[in-house]
Amino acid sequence: MTDYDGASATGSDVHAGETPPEITPPVDDEEATVTEAGTELERTIGLSGGISIGVGTMIGAGIFVFPGLAAGGAGPAAAASFGIGAVIALFVALPTSELATAMPKSGGGYYFISRALGALPGAVVGLSIWLGLVFATAFYLVGFGSYAAAVLAEAGVAVGSIPIVIPSALLFGVFLTALNLFGTENAAALQNYVVGLLLTILVFFLGYGGLDSLGVFGRASTPETFAPFGPLPVFTTAALVFTSYLGFAQVATVAGDIKRPGRNLPLAMVASVVIVGILYVATIFVATSAFGSETLASFGETAIVEVARSFVGTGGAIAILLAGLLATISSANASILSTSRAVFAVSKDEIIPRFASRMNLRYGTPHVALTMAGGPVLVLVAFGEVEVLAEVASFLHLVMYCLMCVALIVMRRDEPEWYDPAFRVPAHRVVAGLGAVASAGLILFMQPTSQIVGVAIMLASAGWYKYYASDVQLKGVL
Amino acid sequence: MWGDLPGEGLTDADLAIREPPVILLPVEVLEGQTIPDTVVEFLAPADVIILGYHVLPEQTPTEQASMQFEDRAQEAVDDIAQSFIDAGGDPETRVVFTHDREQTIDRVATEVGATAILLPNPTGEISEVLVPIRGAIDGGRLADLVATLLAGGAGHVTLWGIAAGEGSEFDAESAVDRAAERLRGRGLPAEQITTETTTAMLQIHDIVDRSDEADIIVMGEGRESLLAVLLGEDAERVAEGAVAPVLVVRDRDPDTEVADADENTADADSHPDADDPE
Repeated sequence: MTDYDGASATGSDVHAGETPPEITPPVDDEEATVTEAGTELERTIGLSGGISIGVGTMIGAGIFVFPGLAAGGAGPAAAASFGIGAVIALFVALPTSELATAMPKSGGGYYFISRALGALPGAVVGLSIWLGLVFATAFYLVGFGSYAAAVLAEAGVAVGSIPIVIPSALLFGVFLTALNLFGTENAAALQNYVVGLLLTILVFFLGYGGLDSLGVFGRASTPETFAPFGPLPVFTTAALVFTSYLGFAQVATVAGDIKRPGRNLPLAMVASVVIVGILYVATIFVATSAFGSETLASFGETAIVEVARSFVGTGGAIAILLAGLLATISSANASILSTSRAVFAVSKDEIIPRFASRMNLRYGTPHVALTMAGGPVLVLVAFGEVEVLAEVASFLHLVMYCLMCVALIVMRRDEPEWYDPAFRVPAHRVVAGLGAVASAGLILFMQPTSQIVGVAIMLASAGWYKYYASDVQLKGVL
Repeated sequence: MWGDLPGEGLTDADLAIREPPVILLPVEVLEGQTIPDTVVEFLAPADVIILGYHVLPEQTPTEQASMQFEDRAQEAVDDIAQSFIDAGGDPETRVVFTHDREQTIDRVATEVGATAILLPNPTGEISEVLVPIRGAIDGGRLADLVATLLAGGAGHVTLWGIAAGEGSEFDAESAVDRAAERLRGRGLPAEQITTETTTAMLQIHDIVDRSDEADIIVMGEGRESLLAVLLGEDAERVAEGAVAPVLVVRDRDPDTEVADADENTADADSHPDADDPE
């Protein structure tokens, strides 16, 4: 509990390179945390709020980007690929849950890694995740623009030669940033409504499609071998689609605000992976039942729209495009919020200037951190080329996942006195080991460009740490 | 429930404050809210807990706000505490950063065992206390609170029974009589107590209308209803419209009821409204 001190006390001690004299055990209560000065911090996010953050960040790619590509790679067995992806995600989610219940603080992965492995790995992860989230948000916003354009085209609204994608992405980016800057309760409420509406559309779509493929509506479904290309592509496809599970660890970034963290954090993280996994597997099942995998592959990234069209015509296509629009909104909004928290976490530890965690009293929002999230996003959207950046974002997330698994093993080995997680991973070496190896392995499947850019960003982060914050000690400091 | 029991038969055990009142004073300190000196003076005889709070939008981590504003919030709360100390009180203080005001007030009220919560409004010298009684109020706590605050002073209390109209099971007449008897039983001179009853459909509206006659209003939480969900809790609505501060008498927490049962045997109707036939 030594990190709430105002701008002065322990903060400057840490900066001066001293470790605080003693480490007190965390006294986190179920409903509120108490700071050193005796101020209480109310925990207000419940289980459903946590799940909404996890699902809202993740859902999207597995349904709106990958079905065609995955079916082309593995046939109907692509459903198994998504299942494998979910299992790997759980191998990372479980260690993350344990760390989060032991350290229920804002900051997520950065916090765990800096406390378990030290300030340098922490700074590298903290700074690169900030950029990674910025890249991901830009990618979601451009996705929003594409869906907006597609909805207009599908609805028959003639726009002539006016470009739609980038301007609408920019406009919406400005809207989301402003909403978070000035909205009092709107941002969180928006997130819940968007995720709720999205899940409703998907459940209807998948329910109808599922019944249809079982022949309820009297149409012959497409009979096909389960794994027409053999077992190996099932695994390579799993590597491809793992991107659609990135984001479950975002739940840990709000750990400081979650009620009964010992129970709700692990539940929210595991439940969001499971919910999203089931939706992805069901989507592949429905899609490969409606069309053969070759036809699906030929549709590419719009496969799911064609599936919806084959069920209920243009209306279905528009409905699923709207769902895609909602998915990009929820992912973009959740990412902006996570970015702001990532900035706060590193600035609190003085990895970057404390100025970045200033907030204004009038709106009660962290305006500097939000601007450091929204500003670069808009620049990137305006200049385009976000797809490469999206893969770089995945790269940086995977590095963080890998290091979180390592952090768990280190924590368990050292087991500091204050380390008392409410949830302990069974067979932690196996689970965290598999999580680390799988995360690192997936990086190898990425394009060389993304790998090079990713490594460059990590080196730059390390350089910043050496230049600005080399005297910051964080290992074992709660 | 006031009318259910015979009003007579007060024993000697009634002639004392049973449960010393504990008043929770939520103050939105960083918004510049303060407590007028007259209110401090009036509340000083009771145990007071000053709860300085600040509500943040969901996108702001409470930790981030506390880093920057904790000192300022603590100072503001300490200033208020000092004014109570000057008035002869011994207040406790709490400072909370939250996303949800209701949740925080409920939690702290339960933790400190508050019997009443003050919803502040501007007011002058406090001598006239208005107690609208609509059936939903913990009689024991009400009597303890009013008797403690008015003890030894010249303040005057009006017990105002409000029946909902024809066919209402609530017997306003005997409810106010019973309340008056309790107050006298706790040592408040009879000439400082006035009782009256009316019938009203729009109770909240009428209470707000009459608030200019009073310097402070003391009322119950009101029961949970669809209307309360739509429009806000009764007491909150009164506080919003009224020109006087409102002291809300809290119902007993269900889990502490058993522990309290013993001391209430001579005073059976101070149980919360779960037993209310209405």
